[in-house]
This record gives sequence, structure tokens and C-alpha cells, in this order.
Amino acid sequence: MKKHLHILTLLLAVALLFMSSCTNHPDVPSSSKAVKSLPDIFPDYCDVTVPCNIAPLNFMLPSDRYAACVARISTPDGQQRTYGQGVKVQIPESDWHTILHASTGKSIKVEVWGKTAKSESEQNGEWLSFSPFEIHVAEEPIDEYISYRLIEPSYVAWDYMEIAQRHLTTFEETQIFNNEITCVDKTKGQCINCHSYQNYKTDNMLFHVRLSNGGTVLVNDGKVSKVNMKRDYTISSGVYPAWHPTAKVIALSTNKTRQGFHTADPNKIEVYDMASDMILYDIATDSVIVVSADTTLLEVYPTWSPDGRYLYYCKSVPLPEELAGKDIRSTYQKVQYNLYRRSFDEPTLSFGEEELVYDAASQDKSATLPRISPDGHYLLFAQGRYGCFHIRHLDADILCMALDDEAAPDIDISKLNSEGFPDSYPSWSSNGHWIMCASRRDDSNYCRVYFSYFKDGKAEKAFMMPQEDPEHHTFFLKSYNRPEFMVEPVRISVDEFSKVFTD
Amino acid sequence: MIEKSNASRAVGYGSLLAFVLFVVYILYINLEVFYTAHDRSEFIYGSAFFQRLMSKPFGLMQYVGSWLTQLYCKPVIGSGVMVLIWTLIFFAGTKAFRLRGSASALMILPIACLLTSIVDLGYWIYIYPIRGYWFSQSAAYLLMLLLMWMARSTPRRWHLLWYLIAFSTYPVLGWYALLFILCLSLSERPSWGELLGMVILLFTASTWRALLYSHLNSDDVVMAGFPVFDTALDASTHQSIPFWTLAALSILLSLFGRYLAKWFVPALCAVSGIIFTLSLMYRDRNYIDEMRMVRHALDDNWAEVLQIASDHPRPTNTMMFLKNIALMNDGSLLDRSFKMGNDYVSLNNPDSLHVTLLDTASPLVYYNYGMTNEAIRLSFENAIQAGFSPFYLKMLARCAQAKGDDKLVERYTTILNHLPLYEDWQPAPVSAQVKELQKSFTDELTGVENSDSYLVNDISLWYSTDSKLASEQALFYAMLRCDSRRFWATLRNYVRLHMDEEFPLHAQEAYIMFMDKSPEEKRIMLPVEQSVYDRYTQFWATIEKLARPSMKLETLSEELREEWGDTYWFYNIFGRKINISPMIMQEHGN
Repeated sequence: MKKHLHILTLLLAVALLFMSSCTNHPDVPSSSKAVKSLPDIFPDYCDVTVPCNIAPLNFMLPSDRYAACVARISTPDGQQRTYGQGVKVQIPESDWHTILHASTGKSIKVEVWGKTAKSESEQNGEWLSFSPFEIHVAEEPIDEYISYRLIEPSYVAWDYMEIAQRHLTTFEETQIFNNEITCVDKTKGQCINCHSYQNYKTDNMLFHVRLSNGGTVLVNDGKVSKVNMKRDYTISSGVYPAWHPTAKVIALSTNKTRQGFHTADPNKIEVYDMASDMILYDIATDSVIVVSADTTLLEVYPTWSPDGRYLYYCKSVPLPEELAGKDIRSTYQKVQYNLYRRSFDEPTLSFGEEELVYDAASQDKSATLPRISPDGHYLLFAQGRYGCFHIRHLDADILCMALDDEAAPDIDISKLNSEGFPDSYPSWSSNGHWIMCASRRDDSNYCRVYFSYFKDGKAEKAFMMPQEDPEHHTFFLKSYNRPEFMVEPVRISVDEFSKVFTD
Repeated sequence: MIEKSNASRAVGYGSLLAFVLFVVYILYINLEVFYTAHDRSEFIYGSAFFQRLMSKPFGLMQYVGSWLTQLYCKPVIGSGVMVLIWTLIFFAGTKAFRLRGSASALMILPIACLLTSIVDLGYWIYIYPIRGYWFSQSAAYLLMLLLMWMARSTPRRWHLLWYLIAFSTYPVLGWYALLFILCLSLSERPSWGELLGMVILLFTASTWRALLYSHLNSDDVVMAGFPVFDTALDASTHQSIPFWTLAALSILLSLFGRYLAKWFVPALCAVSGIIFTLSLMYRDRNYIDEMRMVRHALDDNWAEVLQIASDHPRPTNTMMFLKNIALMNDGSLLDRSFKMGNDYVSLNNPDSLHVTLLDTASPLVYYNYGMTNEAIRLSFENAIQAGFSPFYLKMLARCAQAKGDDKLVERYTTILNHLPLYEDWQPAPVSAQVKELQKSFTDELTGVENSDSYLVNDISLWYSTDSKLASEQALFYAMLRCDSRRFWATLRNYVRLHMDEEFPLHAQEAYIMFMDKSPEEKRIMLPVEQSVYDRYTQFWATIEKLARPSMKLETLSEELREEWGDTYWFYNIFGRKINISPMIMQEHGN
């Protein structure tokens, strides 16, 4: 008897293991009611263009309206596969990459059936078949890694935060650093942010640690150190960084940043600078060179042209005379930034004269966060009506302008932006075909990462970074902050980073 | 001999029964605390929350504890589950420590420790950062005892294997795995095996940090799961006493438990357990009633809020604000507020925690005054540190609804609907009052403010609102602020919007007093009831009669309270004034 019990237990365990490793390939409903609309799937992947190396685009139907979902995926080679478990469609990575491989340069056809949830009138829900949609698979891959800070969409308080990296071909997310491992003074807390990489690679990178045990963690040819960029002639240590694409110098803004809270405005938070300048940090000599320190104007968000010959940045325009010297809380809506650039001479570490690149203020707008495409033809930036912190401005959108004659004549990236929600922090993939941005379009509060395919001056419909469980974004109460592309992972462990705080 | 045995048994069962009744009584009087425990404990369905907890040792127990804590939404159900776990602990403990006869009553003591640990928190309940605190310790202790029972059921030569098993369970059981090794090695006569057990014990945490938890601070790995009450502002060792005692008792039971099968042991244990719990338990009427008021206010049950307030002569400031919101919803604020009293007492807080209205109910108070942006901010500030518990999720859902952010409402509601007893939860409709107040003030940019002073300062500045409700609130807070300049400004606006309406009693009282003591140059003439005016005259006459040279203000106030405590004049002169210290600008952008 005991022996039989053991065998039974073993069989049960094997069966459970087998069931858990199985993918559900449900049958397509034999009968269904046709609905002439696209399925209301989350995330919205209908008619998007995706890279040929992206992780599975798992999605779901709303669980309050549907009880089940079945998706049939057809590839150009005639293969068909069905997926669906409950209201979710989760495609195994191996299947998905086979699908992508078969569809590169073409499209995947997705047909979706949804079984409505039981209602009082209907005991059993009915199957609806929605209009099919396509997922276009671009030939150009996306950089395999991105990194971001994960933090609640916070105001003043913060607790645990981390800089994480995500492998975009899979769902693997690992930690680069967190703010607890080296925090020695709980009353101060520790804040981490502003990670930056040289030319998409991770052998030369940095991130800031503020307050308890503060400093800038610098990785120089793979060697980790902690530096302090504050000098008695700068208003703060380095804040928003930009590595020179080839030289061992970093342009940074120095900022005296404050925030205020709207009592009624839907924007809720205002982040503004009381003062900001720009510096250049020379890693070899640990020296800080002041790039600009106009006491009446605000310079911020430096970025390099891909050839390293120009430094682009934002600079505020002078306030009307009657507002000069007034409390920032009454003038913040008048602070507007234009985009400028200065030539850079690497051997002498010197800068040329300032040139206006984009005059936003003349259109009663404010432009921030410039990013140049790797081919040097396009400039992306975020634009709102005022200020420098557009991720908190509902009217903020991402714009693109031509930098030279080789750019496409008709630039249109409207499909990247959302209507009425903040879209900000744009960046280019290393091949220049993928734009990434942070957007609160999902619910106006939580920042999520979106990608959009860019070719010949046109951006395709943006899609949300896929997650293994499509419901992840509902239950994950943190924002993705400052997403950056990388072509390789950060290989230094959290523990190794933490050692520079004790050395 | 038989008689002695029967007497011993009677003492045993009697003691056990007494202790069980005591436990039931303690749980019963703390049901409101348990409801608040669930309301302020974070559990989020989905892999993100699970993985966050699992990234630390003891995380699984915390996850289980977090889920079980949500059962306190129905406090009787939660308490029932807790009692079940303790019952299992009792039986598993007698086997694990090999307690026979009267000695089995010794297991009362660990249970008393675990009981104490959930009733001694006091105001930590609003700010403690430990996820799953309420059940995780009891559940982990039960697992430890079961493990020990199994270990002691096997031949002694297998103990080394059990030490290794305990080592491997450290990520799950945390400090209970260490306690297991210690208890098992002490329960037998020392041998090489036990010595090895001690070596494993010494290196368990450091080995696991190197193997799996190198992303964590060493302090978070050593003694993982041992409750430490430590935040950026507060720290207390007091709340850790039950756990140190639990550990010490477990060690003593391993060493001497089997020798304590004496007839008097059950009685001694029951009495010790009861004394231990009573000596550490936090008990305060305001503490409980404040929780009740918050719960009813969250359900918009203003009648119940007023009922609690009317039974309470010495409330906390949270209770005072909630009472005034209830009166606002009831429409009788300016007729009843000072009758019911606007004095408040400080929190009875032996740990001197930095707990204020901010932590107990600020989002709820701000929401009901239509200040939804502030309510959202305060919900986030608190939830980021204390966890996105049902209270904050409910507040965020309601605020999002008031702001018209439907997607956000859907997100927060979905999260709440995945909690064990929240399947059908939906935010209550936005009340007409909140809708009206939300539109009644213009936007401005503020910094970080002290919660109660900001409410009083800001609302009393709503001079030019066109909302009748807002003008009433502005007048009330100008009166509460005892500020003649704001009083006259808000009164003018109030009168403009309330033409041909009755002049409320407290407004009349304030009007008479300010006309008398701080009149404006350009006076506003309003009719007041003769009886009110006569009473005002009597009030000053009584003061003149009772006041003696060198008499303390408090003494005079006590002598006047019974007759005049229901008037605005009494509040104005003797009442505790609301903190109106200026705001603090936030220095750091994030």
C-alpha cells in the first residue's frame, strides 16, 4: 500500500511538472460572433512595427469584460499557432522567436477571439471574433538592453529604488544598483539616478548617488570608482550627464533643483531649477571645467552629437523684465528653454560660440532633452509649454527636426506621441531605427517605456515594452525613469559597485 | 494518588481555559486594531510584489503574512486564522520540545509572546515598514516547530542532515532557521554533530549573503525576518521584546522543558502569559476610536463619525478634523462644531513616534475638503514608506475618480479587487460636497506643509470663493485660527453667498466677539439673537467674577468649561490653538 502511495505521489508530481511546463494551445472557437473592430487588448499591439529581436508581445483582454481569449498567430510561411489561457495570451520565447524569424521584413497576422464574461442575462459568455490585426516585423533589430530607474511616481518621499537593466529579447531584468546596499544614514536616505553610458557601451558609464554616502559612481574601462564632481566654483556636483562618444570627458549640468506641488492643476508637480550651469568633467585629470555659468539663465540637459564635435543643450530665455527677480512660484510658467549647441575641440577641451538650434520660446514653447540620431541627421527633443521637467507636463510631446540636408524632407513622428499625456525622455537606438521614450499615456501617472520604429523621417505607432505577464503593468506601482539604450549589459555586480563606498 | 492526578489535570485544563479566554478577550478588544492592520498592510497581487519580497531572506514568510493580514478585513476571520495557527503552534511545540503532561502548558508562553507582538504596536501600526508582520512571525514559528518535531522524530545521527536542511531553509525561515539550529543542538547532549550545528549557525547568514543576497546590505541578511522597528525618523526596541522573549523561551524549553512537568506549571504559565501581554499591550481609547472614525469616514458614514465624536470630550486632532468634516456633510458645522468641542489632546504615544494626522488620516481629510492633489500627494508620500495598503489604494482610487482619471481608477480598483476580501470593491461616488469644494479654489504652487496647519491656513484663505460650502469652511477655519483679519474677510464672503439664510450660532458668537474685541474700521452690521448677545455678556461677567490674580489660565478654563465649553468664546480664549506655523519649501527635486 505504502509503495503504491509513493508511486502515485511520484506520478502526480511528474504530471504537475508536465502541466506546468506545457503551453496552452487552445482550439479556435467553432462558432463566434464577428465584431467589426480591433480587440481591446492590453498592451495595444495592434498594427505596430516591432524589431526582429524583441521579446514576446504578450497581451490580454480586459478581465472585467472577458472570461477567455484565444489568439491565432499566422506567419508568412503559412504556419499557424494558437495561444491563450484565461484572458491572457502568453507566447513562449522559443515559439515567438521562431515566429519573428519567419516574419522578418514582413508581417504577422493576429486573430483574436474573446469570450465575454458571464452576465446576469447570459449564463455562459459568447465568443466574439474581432477584426484581425498585423504586427510588422522590421529587419532592423533593437539594442538588446535598456536600463532605467524604478521608482514610485513620487513627490518628496522615496524608499527603495533601483537602477535595473532589461534584456529586450527576453524578459530578464537584473539589478545594476539599489539605494539600500550602501545607505549608512537612514535619516538622510539615499537617492540614485542619472545613469549614463558612453556610446551605448557599459565599460564606461556612471550613475549618481545622493545624500547618505553620496557621490558619482564612475566606471572607466571597467574599473569602478567614486568621484566627487562638486567644486567650490560650481553650484552643485554633476547632475544630468552626457558621455562624450569617444573621449574620456563627460558634460554635465549642475543644478539647484526644487519642486512645488499644484493644489488643483492636473499636472500635480512642478520641478524647476533655481539655478543651473554646465560643466565638463575630465576623467583623466579629475578636473572640472565650467562650460557655461550664466547667473541669469539656466543651462541644462547636455548631449553630444554622435561625432563628438558639438555639445547640444537647453538654455532658458531671459524672463520679461517685470518678472525678473520674482519668486519662481509666480514665474515658473514663463520659464522657457531653447536648444543650442557649441562646437567642441577635443584636444584642447574648449568650446566654440553658442548657436541657436531650435527656437521654442518664439512659439511660446519650451524644448528640453535633446538627443541626436546616430547618423547625425535628426534631433529629438521633448516640448511642452514651459519648464524643463516635461515628464510631469500633460501637454508634453516628443518632436523631431532635421539637422542637415540628408534628413528626410517630411518628418512625422506624431504616431510616437500620445494625446494629452506626458511623453518625454526620448532616445535613439544605436542603429537609429528605434526611438524609446518614457510616457504616462497608460493612466497619466505611471511612466512606462514605449518604442517606435523610425525610418525615413517617419515614426510608426509606439508600443509598450513587453512583459512576460501582460498584467504586470497594472500591478507594478513604480515608474520607469530615464530609460537608456545599451548594446551590452552592465557586467559589474551590485556588490562590486557597493565596494567603492567602503574603500 | 488518583486525586492528585485529577487535581493536577484540573489545574492544567483550568489554566489553559483561562488563557484561551484571555486570548479571546484580547483579540476581541483589538478587533478595530486588526481591521486597521489590514487597512495599513501592503499586499499587491502579481509577480512584482512577490519578487520584491523574495529578493530578501524571509521574503516568502512575509508574502504569506501579507496575504493573511488581508483577512483582517473581517477581523473575526483574521483572528480565527491566527488562533488556528497558535493552536497548531501549541501542539507542534509540545512535540518539538517533548513536553509531556503539565509541561505542555509551557507552550502558552510562546503564544503569549506572539499575541503580545500584535497588540503592542500602538501608533507604529501607521508607519511600521515590515511587510506581512502580523502573520509572518507566527507562521514561521509554526514551521520551525514542525521542522523540529520532524528532526527530533528521526535518529540522532540524522541531526547533521537537519542542520543542513535548516541552513538551506534560511531564505524562507530567516532567523527562525537559526533558532531551529540552536534549539535542536541544545536539546541533546553535546556531540560533534551539535558542534557542527553551531558552526553552521555562525556562518549561515554570511554564506547566504555571498550566495544569493549580495545585492543586500549585510544588516538585512543577518537575523533576516527578525522584526526591527526602525524608520528614518523613529526607532524602538520595545516592540522587539516579544521576539527576544520568544527566542529565549524556545531555547529554555529545549534545555529544560522536559523537566518541568509539575502540577503548578500550567497555572504559572497562564498567569505569566497574561501578565506579559497586559504589561506590553498598548491600550488607549483615542487610539481605537480614531481608527473607528477613520474607517467610518472612509465609508462616508458620517452619522457614525458624529456618534463617536459626541461620546468623546478629549479627541485627537485627527478626530477633530473628521468630526468637522462630518458636520460639514451634515450641514451643521457652524451650529454644532464648538458645542462638540474643538480642543484636542496629543496622541498617547509612549514611543514618542513622529505620528501625526499626516500618517493617520491626512489623505482622507484633504480629499473631503476637495483638495485632491494634496490627498494624492500625501497618499503617495505615506504609501511609499508604509506600503500601498488598502487604505492608500482606496484613497488613490477615490482621488483619481474625483479628478476624472478613469484609467487610474481602474488600475487601483483592479489591484484592490485582487485582495482576498475585496472582490467587489468599487470606489464610492464622489460626493456633491467634494465636487463643489474641488472647484472652489484656484491653483497655486506649494511646498511641503505641516498637514493640520496647512488645512487651517489654506482653507481660511478661501475669501473670494463663489461656493457656499467653501465660504462656510473658510469662515469656520478663520474662526478656528482665531484670526480677526481672516474672519472679517471670510464673513463678508459668507454673508454675500448666504443672503436670507439663518445666521449660524457659532458664526454669531464669533461675530459678537470680534465686533467687541477686534472690529474693522468699516463695520459689517448683522443681526444677532438677543439671547446669544446676553450670553456673551454673561460669559465675560463670569470670567471677571472667577478670575483671581495669579490664577492659572488652565484653572480658570476648567472652572468655566462646564458652562461655557460649548461656545466659540471659550475656544477662542482657552481652547488649544491649531498649529499655524508657516510652510516649509521642499528643497529637493526628484
